[in-house]
Amino acid sequence: MHESPVLRTVARIAVPLTLLLSLRIFEQGHDMPGGGFIAGVIAAAAGAIPLLAFGMGGAARFPWWRLSVLGLLCSIASGTVPLLAGSTFMDHVILDFDLPLLGNVHLPSATFFDLGVYLIVLGTLMTLFVEMGLEERRWNS
Amino acid sequence: MSALTTIVVAPFIGAILIAILGRALGRWSGLLMVAAALASFYAAYTLLGTETPALATHQWIPSLGVSFRLRADAFGAFFALLISGIGALVAVYSLGYDTHDLGRARIGRYYAELSAFMGAMLGIAVADDLILFFIFWEITSISSYLLIGFWYERQAASDGALTALLVTALGGLAMFAGFVLIGLATGSFALSEIIADDARREALIASPAFHPAMLLVLAGVFTKSAQVPFHFWLPGAMVAPTPISTYLHSATMVKAGIFLLARVTPLFAASVVWPLIVVPVGLATFFLGAWQSFRENDLKALLAYSTVSALGLVTLAYGLRAPEQDVLQILSHATYKGTLFMVAGIVEHAAGTRDLRELGGLRKTLPISFVLCFLGVLSMGGLPPLFGFVAKEALYGSLLDSSMLGAQPLLHGFVVAVVVVANAFLLASGLKLLIGVFLGKGHGAHESHGEPALLWLPAAVLALGALGLGLLSSTDASERLVNGLSSAANAQLAVSLVPTHVGPLVLTLVTIVLGVAIYRSRTRVEALQQRVDRLPDAQAVWDALIARLTRFAEVCSEWWQNGSLRWYFSAILLFTTGISFFALEVGGISIATISIGFQNLGWASMGLALLILMTTIAVVRADTRLGAALALTSSGFLVALVYAVYRSPDILLTQILIETVSTIVILLVLYFMPPFRKDGLSPALSAWNATVSGLFGLAMFVFVLLCTSPAFRETRNLGQDYLARSLGQAGGRNAVNVIIVDFRAMDTIGEITVLVVVGLCVYGLLRARRAEG
Repeated sequence: MHESPVLRTVARIAVPLTLLLSLRIFEQGHDMPGGGFIAGVIAAAAGAIPLLAFGMGGAARFPWWRLSVLGLLCSIASGTVPLLAGSTFMDHVILDFDLPLLGNVHLPSATFFDLGVYLIVLGTLMTLFVEMGLEERRWNS
Repeated sequence: MSALTTIVVAPFIGAILIAILGRALGRWSGLLMVAAALASFYAAYTLLGTETPALATHQWIPSLGVSFRLRADAFGAFFALLISGIGALVAVYSLGYDTHDLGRARIGRYYAELSAFMGAMLGIAVADDLILFFIFWEITSISSYLLIGFWYERQAASDGALTALLVTALGGLAMFAGFVLIGLATGSFALSEIIADDARREALIASPAFHPAMLLVLAGVFTKSAQVPFHFWLPGAMVAPTPISTYLHSATMVKAGIFLLARVTPLFAASVVWPLIVVPVGLATFFLGAWQSFRENDLKALLAYSTVSALGLVTLAYGLRAPEQDVLQILSHATYKGTLFMVAGIVEHAAGTRDLRELGGLRKTLPISFVLCFLGVLSMGGLPPLFGFVAKEALYGSLLDSSMLGAQPLLHGFVVAVVVVANAFLLASGLKLLIGVFLGKGHGAHESHGEPALLWLPAAVLALGALGLGLLSSTDASERLVNGLSSAANAQLAVSLVPTHVGPLVLTLVTIVLGVAIYRSRTRVEALQQRVDRLPDAQAVWDALIARLTRFAEVCSEWWQNGSLRWYFSAILLFTTGISFFALEVGGISIATISIGFQNLGWASMGLALLILMTTIAVVRADTRLGAALALTSSGFLVALVYAVYRSPDILLTQILIETVSTIVILLVLYFMPPFRKDGLSPALSAWNATVSGLFGLAMFVFVLLCTSPAFRETRNLGQDYLARSLGQAGGRNAVNVIIVDFRAMDTIGEITVLVVVGLCVYGLLRARRAEG
């Protein structure tokens, strides 16, 4: 399966496109279909393509589990900030502010929570893919 | 940030900084801990003089009446000063302690754990909310587990750490249950509020939960403070590095139990049962600790048992309703015992052993330690002019006050006699330590490493504290200190270096004579101790108990977790089915009234349903696992189309992606699955499978029917409610996502945590298996 030139060619185009799609889905999540979970799954699908096309090389060496731990920290931190500010845990607010170039930014603080979900889904799924794949290689050899 | 919050937060900030920088800083991260300790010390010091106790409240879980509520009364501030002060000294001492070149990362982690431990202890000192108190309490248990197990490669260290964790954590859980009972009975978790409010206190006393709550809280006290019969974990924990033993097991953590005892005394002391439990436990601990201490030849074990003994003494004071003794006794013990532990560390560092039988004549090589040890032993034995003498005099004074035990002269006499004998044993084991290590002949030429200043300086501070407090004890300031900081309201304890009453002086003289006599005839006493068989060895009982429990758990898991995926899946499905029908039953919801009509179904839906049905039959009838998997995937994609028909793009997207990813996973694991077994299933197994699937299918059918029926949607309008609030309150138009990340964020936290743990487990298990080969 790893030797298919067709798969490799498709992979070179498909991976960046899928990643872009994943970011777009994440970004629009609060108002339109999307969100951290779905976007994370799409990103993991993008990550699975090189594993299938190029084998357990570069992407398999990345410590994906750290990404999911980072995501969990991010989600918990987004809930803790309001706690430290005197409100309750997970009491999200909507941030509206103006930035140069970007104009008005409408950013619910729940987005950071969603970012954590994104990283966790991506990290955990990639861990699964990579570990299962490595296991298969060991059995074959 | 207020001074009160700083006390708790500074050490935790220190711990986080050290955890990040520790790898780079190595042992110098100890200086960060010193800084954090001094910050807390200063903050606690500023709170000492205030008229009304400082209070800081942050919201936490208002719906349960739990808040992040800190309060520093005089006793709490005293405790915070003790913890942060000795914490700074121990951090300095650790800088000079020989950690066998374990590498920077390990040393950094040590300081991070120690700093977190200090923060949790300070949290205990100033927490006013009972739930918050419990959380800090548990953090001390966990961080002490890590610290005791510092040399985790050694079997003894990991065993000792585990025993300490299990005993204190079990006690902590009992204490938590007690706190909940108190909270339910009084309607508040704020301890100072409960104590100040007569109505709440009486509600607690009148409640049937009064005695259970008392026993549960006492279980927490006795396990943490190593009272008989839970004393055994403390000597086992002495495998820790000496700075840890000094800090955790003499100066602070074991005193957390005593501290809690002081905090709850106003709640429970009125009960007649209180002295009946606390006095015998305290007395037994005091005596047995002293007795066992004299038996030991290992320096740290000797000190450990004398610590057990001293803790028993304070417990006894609370049991006898003499809480005004607490600051005096705690301060006296912390100064001399800290000194002696640090000296034990210096001796071990210099001579390479802690065994008294192999030590001797070290006064020439370790002159400073000799002087410090001399002062420490004098104070431990209760000799003038050390602070220990003052403490002992005051204790005897209170004991002789006949009102303490009521009109029971026999019992009174017994308690006094036991206390005197126990004190004599403590003096004797102090002499054994001092003379055994420093006097007499040396045993061979020890390769001496000398006395680094970083090691003896902190010990000297504590020893001079014991001396200075003793010398100054006749001043007014000393009395103000002891009485003003005590947990007892209006404490009127008289402290003086110059004896004022005859009774206590006589008892002190008896103690000294008896102590010296015990030491001089130590061979005979030891023979007696050999003959009086060891008390039923609590450690052995505990080990047997844990072994039984482990075996029981093994039997259960072997039966329940038998490795068969079919079995697991059946369990999950049956549980879901059961809980679904249970929910319907409890909610009083019947499906009998729901009318089923097909008139709203379009052709598209009908066609889809037919296709889904066909693919599902294909799953069941497939001959290979790959075929079944592909049929299942097609069924999933068809279900996704249903969402398209009903215009639910979010769920449609999710369903398609989940199907895609599951297919990838199935293909990845297909290789490792056992042969596809379809024919040759026993009829019983087939029937079981059919029953489980049938029941689960029925449950899902009922639920879908219910949720889509117009009647149900009109009465339980949660969805409309979320839709209405989504944009205004959470600033998002996509209600599905808003529910996930905002309205039900706590649920999501649970789910993503499971996801992370699953990922880590897969990583760890498969890596470990591959590493094994």
